[in-house]
Amino acid sequence: MRKLLLGLTVFLFFTGTLLAQKTITGKVTDDKGNPLANVSVTIKGSNSGTVTKADGTYSLSAPASATVLVFSSVDMVPEEVTIGSQTVINPALKGVDKSLTEVVVVGYQTVRRSEVTGSIANVSGKELAQKPIGNFTQLLQGKATGVQVTGQSGRPGAIGYIRVRGTGSINASNEPFILLDGIPISVTSYALLNPNDIEDIVILKDASSQAIYGSRAANGVIIITSKKGKGKAEIRYSFQYGRSEAQDLKNLTLMNSRQKLQYEYEGKFSNPTLNAALATAITAGTFPAGSTLFTLSDAQRQTLWDLVESKGAGDWSDYLLQDGTSMNHEIAVSGATEKLKYYFSVNKGDNDGVLYGSYWNKTGGRLNVEYNALDWFKMGTNIGVTYSKENNVRSLFNTQNSYASLFLFNPYEPVRNANGTYNTTHTGYSPLEGTDNNPSILNRIGTFGTFFGEANFFKHLTLKSQVGINYTTLNQENYLKPGSNLAGILGYNSKTDAGNQDYTFVITNTANWRQTFSDKHSINVLVGQEYTKNRFYSYTLEGRGFPTASVSTLDNAGSAQRATTSRSDWSLVSYFGNITYDFSKKYYLTLSGRRDGSSRFGANKRFANFWAVGATWDIMKENFMNVDFMSALKLRASIGTAGTVPNGLYDNLGTYGLTTKYQDIPTAVPARLPNPDLTWEENQNWDLGLDFGFLKNRIYGSVDYYHRKTNDLIYPKNVSLTTGFASFTSNIGNMENEGYEISLNGDLIRQKDLVVSLYASYSHNDNKITKLYSDNVPQSLSRFVEGEAAYTYFMNRWGGINPADGKNLFYTATGALTETYLASDAVLLKGKAPQVKFFGSFGVNASYKGLDLTTQFYYSGGNYIMNYMYQVGASEGESLTDEQFTDAFNYWKKPGDIAQHANLNDATQRVTFDTDKYLQKGDYVSLRDITIGYTLPANIAEKLKVIKSIRFYVQGTNLWIGTKFKGLPEVGEPNGETGLDPTGAFATPGLYNLYAQPQIRAMTFGVDVRF
Amino acid sequence: MKKIKYFILVSSLMMAVSCSKDKLELFPYNQIETTQAFNTEADVTLAIDGMYAGLRTSGSYFVNGIWNIVADALADNLIINQTGRLTLKTYGEWRYTGENTYGLFSGGYGIIRRANAVLENIDKFADGAFKNNAKGQALALRALIYFDMVRVYSKTYVNASATDYTMPYVTTTDPTIMPATEPVKGFYDKVIADLEAAKAIIGTANGIYKINKNAVSGLLSRVYLYKGDWANCITASTDALGATPNVPTRANFPGIWTDDASNNGLLFKVRNTRLDGLNAQGVNYYQTVSGERKSEYVVEYNLKQLFTATDIRTSSYIATSPFNGLQYNHVIKYNGRTNGDPAGVVDGKVLRTAEVLLNRAEAYYKNANPTAALADLVLLKSNRYSGYVAETLSGQALLDEIYLQRRLELAFEGDRFWDLKRRNLPVVRDGTKGEVADGSGTRYVFTTLPTTSPLFQLPFPQTEVNFNTNLKQNPGY
Repeated sequence: MRKLLLGLTVFLFFTGTLLAQKTITGKVTDDKGNPLANVSVTIKGSNSGTVTKADGTYSLSAPASATVLVFSSVDMVPEEVTIGSQTVINPALKGVDKSLTEVVVVGYQTVRRSEVTGSIANVSGKELAQKPIGNFTQLLQGKATGVQVTGQSGRPGAIGYIRVRGTGSINASNEPFILLDGIPISVTSYALLNPNDIEDIVILKDASSQAIYGSRAANGVIIITSKKGKGKAEIRYSFQYGRSEAQDLKNLTLMNSRQKLQYEYEGKFSNPTLNAALATAITAGTFPAGSTLFTLSDAQRQTLWDLVESKGAGDWSDYLLQDGTSMNHEIAVSGATEKLKYYFSVNKGDNDGVLYGSYWNKTGGRLNVEYNALDWFKMGTNIGVTYSKENNVRSLFNTQNSYASLFLFNPYEPVRNANGTYNTTHTGYSPLEGTDNNPSILNRIGTFGTFFGEANFFKHLTLKSQVGINYTTLNQENYLKPGSNLAGILGYNSKTDAGNQDYTFVITNTANWRQTFSDKHSINVLVGQEYTKNRFYSYTLEGRGFPTASVSTLDNAGSAQRATTSRSDWSLVSYFGNITYDFSKKYYLTLSGRRDGSSRFGANKRFANFWAVGATWDIMKENFMNVDFMSALKLRASIGTAGTVPNGLYDNLGTYGLTTKYQDIPTAVPARLPNPDLTWEENQNWDLGLDFGFLKNRIYGSVDYYHRKTNDLIYPKNVSLTTGFASFTSNIGNMENEGYEISLNGDLIRQKDLVVSLYASYSHNDNKITKLYSDNVPQSLSRFVEGEAAYTYFMNRWGGINPADGKNLFYTATGALTETYLASDAVLLKGKAPQVKFFGSFGVNASYKGLDLTTQFYYSGGNYIMNYMYQVGASEGESLTDEQFTDAFNYWKKPGDIAQHANLNDATQRVTFDTDKYLQKGDYVSLRDITIGYTLPANIAEKLKVIKSIRFYVQGTNLWIGTKFKGLPEVGEPNGETGLDPTGAFATPGLYNLYAQPQIRAMTFGVDVRF
Repeated sequence: MKKIKYFILVSSLMMAVSCSKDKLELFPYNQIETTQAFNTEADVTLAIDGMYAGLRTSGSYFVNGIWNIVADALADNLIINQTGRLTLKTYGEWRYTGENTYGLFSGGYGIIRRANAVLENIDKFADGAFKNNAKGQALALRALIYFDMVRVYSKTYVNASATDYTMPYVTTTDPTIMPATEPVKGFYDKVIADLEAAKAIIGTANGIYKINKNAVSGLLSRVYLYKGDWANCITASTDALGATPNVPTRANFPGIWTDDASNNGLLFKVRNTRLDGLNAQGVNYYQTVSGERKSEYVVEYNLKQLFTATDIRTSSYIATSPFNGLQYNHVIKYNGRTNGDPAGVVDGKVLRTAEVLLNRAEAYYKNANPTAALADLVLLKSNRYSGYVAETLSGQALLDEIYLQRRLELAFEGDRFWDLKRRNLPVVRDGTKGEVADGSGTRYVFTTLPTTSPLFQLPFPQTEVNFNTNLKQNPGY
């Protein structure tokens, strides 16, 4: 086909020459005089034309009949020039005013950015590509106001907890609704998504944009659009290599060998390693028989300590942690013709985590094709498949977690025993040996496909039908190898194969009518229906009695231990509509509505309605706005509702479970209390926003104010424990989030070669429970109380160390000091809650010729974190046998001492309680990202013939953190295995820390080559 | 015109593929609705078995809970091992608060709900043996748990005043209840009433893993002992033991702990199969790490001295072995079976004939029948000590020996602290001895719990007290 076209062009050219010829040359630049490459130059009314070279020049032979040349390029306003008698034409193209042409996908359709009445945030794929963090949700941190992101942990591929305009729900599903090309995708699926395949991300923050997504939109909607083909065919190859390490704890230092030995000595504890060395020394005659640590002279003790220290591991992080390496390759081919748009990519990435043995490797591909089959009909598909393999190292609060072990293993304990095996230390377990001999490998395959057909009728009507299938499988193989330490402790070896298949099917039909009347009244009506069905199937197989570690499949097991499967499903039926009207592109009005029916409710609550109204006034378009320094001014307002369904699939039903066995026979056991009145959680939002620009948008930004009210919060409602249940899922109260968002951008320098711009954003959110049907809902460490933020901490108050006797003091509920800890003295710590109250980012971006620099500082604060890692590491003697922080030395020694910790030698004080002593502010600033890149000048690249462009870059992640928190201030999940709800999510990110995999600090080098 | 045809075609296609009414009625695949849970006798059997399975609720009573250690750790039978994981330290140091006692409370009521559901539905069925046996088991099981709970949270019948209270005796599955505290004495009467009612109707051939009539009698023996109702205790004990009590011989004694097939000397135990694989009873005491026993708690020095070499219980209960170079007296009662099942996986022994025999011996003594008391004591001891010659004891010496044998027989089995409470005795620990076998090591931090201490009554869970304002917290918390 292409050859034929080429031939045709040649023929035309030839015939043209025969008729009459005229050669036109010139140079195309932008309005600053920079040459523009790849600008298409065509003769109006014909197919002949050319494109400009890298230096902007072109040369074209035109027939004498040609009258007008058209210059066009992406991001530029097309320009038509009448040829007349000219033979040299040097047009200067203007950059497109993006607010006019930029389109975004919101609510089942693509609309112009300028027509959106709601509050949305847009993050381009460029900001997410090529970062060493494998999940785009973590990459969204600081990219948009009102969108707060906390990394779950530093596990490779870990997701981020996203809170759009505060914590809107208190059940676990606080996460926004995430769609890829219009199809909702599961957490597993988006964790497998290649960030480089993302064209852009739109985050819907307010009612008018959310309402059309109805019952799943209350906590925000994130719309991901994958890359589609455009322009000339292009091949891109990207390579990336990075090194990462665990972030160091802030304001805390682990004791070294000598410090820990000294501390133990002061605490009158002689550890087993010392005892063994002492016994050997006594046998050898170095010390007199019967010596103990406490009878040795100072010099003898130093000798003994020297001996022990010399054999110790020293810094355990050299063994328990690793420098993670990441290596990624990607090839993408894309392009577009009149009939066909295509984007094809394959990628392979190997990423190590920072814990010993952890890795996450993935391989995937995507094909995105759109074909205009008829002039009124187009169809397309987007198919992505990703395979990932992960070593799921343990993450829990004990020595099986190598990160926890870093804070438990003493530096004087050797890494290995004399016979070469791993030392299990005083804890009795070596996570190094565990990782080697008890591997837990996760294999996932995520497939995602959408198929659509779109037909245009009667000029204004578009009918679209789309089917989406999201299918992910997980296969997890845990092998407790024969001969491993844990197999010895448990008395058996075993292999467990577990996994699941998660299948979601969505069909969406929409009809869209767009028409403009008398050039002033534009109307856009959309109606649609949607059906979503999810089926989830899981299995667990376990066998025991393996003969040898060299075989690992279950057919080698001596006996079967477990074989179970389970299944669940849910469905959602929806009808929705949207009307947008604008008058002269000056006044915009949007109405939207949705009716959802969900299988998760009882018959009488099954359906719910959601609606929203939004309006925009483009003040700049008013005649009275004749102000030179202002370049943009737009007012937005919206009001409406959205909803949330419960996490549980059958929470309205009271049931008996049949899965528990007695004497290996099934039994019936009460599983759940019924709640036929369980109903939708509803969000009522309104917001006001102002977008502005000054000095030809050299300075621009926006200010938003919002108010979110959540009614009928879905949450487990307590019942008396005497019923045999603790709670049932119910609607327990109302909550409000109120806040404002400011973003400011300014170009400091705008010159031909040099651009320097600054940006800053600030988001503030206040959360408050306004109504509880059942007051004082108990929570671990925290409470829900009317008038206070959700999860406000509820615990005992610490009153310092009594200078007179070195004992801990506590406040009673009424405020008196006491040395007795009573749980009933716990009080609500008003104003102290785990929710972040303010956050944002700032930085500078610059480019000079081929060099570019981007920086991003991220800050967040106003939250409190229960610091368990500090409690355990400065334990006043309770954990004397475990490694401690140097902070622990600050203990009471004699009457009158003002100390942080109790008398180490008072046995009654060797116990730690949960008090506000360990509750600390989580404020921090981090240099989240800094990237320096260099793009080879076009003329050099051209000399390399086939290569269109090359860019090199170096990127640093989290290179610096400033905080007063003792430890790492970015706390998501406590750890990978604690405090999770059945869906695997953690309801209250940041409530407390407990040895989750630490966030990383990384340096990455990369190169992008385009052919 | 052609386009209109296409339009109609496309539109109707779209309508057709998405019509999806009635797709919102979805039900779980592994559950049945509560309203459908008691339709047939087979359903009742499932629910009865579910009740027994509940006895193994994690963190609460038998097999998967702390029952086999907590009463020993609270008292003077065990001392914490500083090189262990320091589990249950809050119990051993009497530092528990309303935050620590959740499992025994919620777990208990969880089992009770299962029994209450059976009792609420059983009258749907025709009178007869099936119905009687089901009802009897539900009543007995509910009473068993209520009695253990009242031992944990409250004073005993003998020591309680008329105003001393305990938790509510719930007999409904109504989820809206906010029940109030009840008098201790009335609570005991309800336990006894349930057990006596069960005794009249329960079957006799439900197997050792379920409650039978003689087990109900054994439970009554226990409750009457705590009530100080000696005559009824003797009657119930004799009903449980029969004319010739089955007290395992020295040769058979170790088999109790390895779950041999004979089930000698057992009246009721909770099943824990290899597939269940619950090892909590063993892990409560120790785990084998690098070939050495790593204990959480070890045998208190003075108690160890009371276990003599001629006593078969010594080798069944205790092993002295090194950990990290030091010798400790580890409790090996829950080692595991000898058939290759994993370590610590054993059945939960809820009621043994030896306990009932000791109950009766004490009751005989208190009921002015020292001869019969001595006979029971001799019967037990002759099956425990090698070379034992029947002795003649009387008066306080006889009673003391009964108490001593009770402590030795039921050591590490969840009895000691409740027994001291029942006898209104303080906990007195030897503050001069540590946890190492030779008495060195780290000593008790807290050595005495006087009888007047409110800590003898464990606190109700704070969450329940906060929520259910009708439930008054025990004094002192």
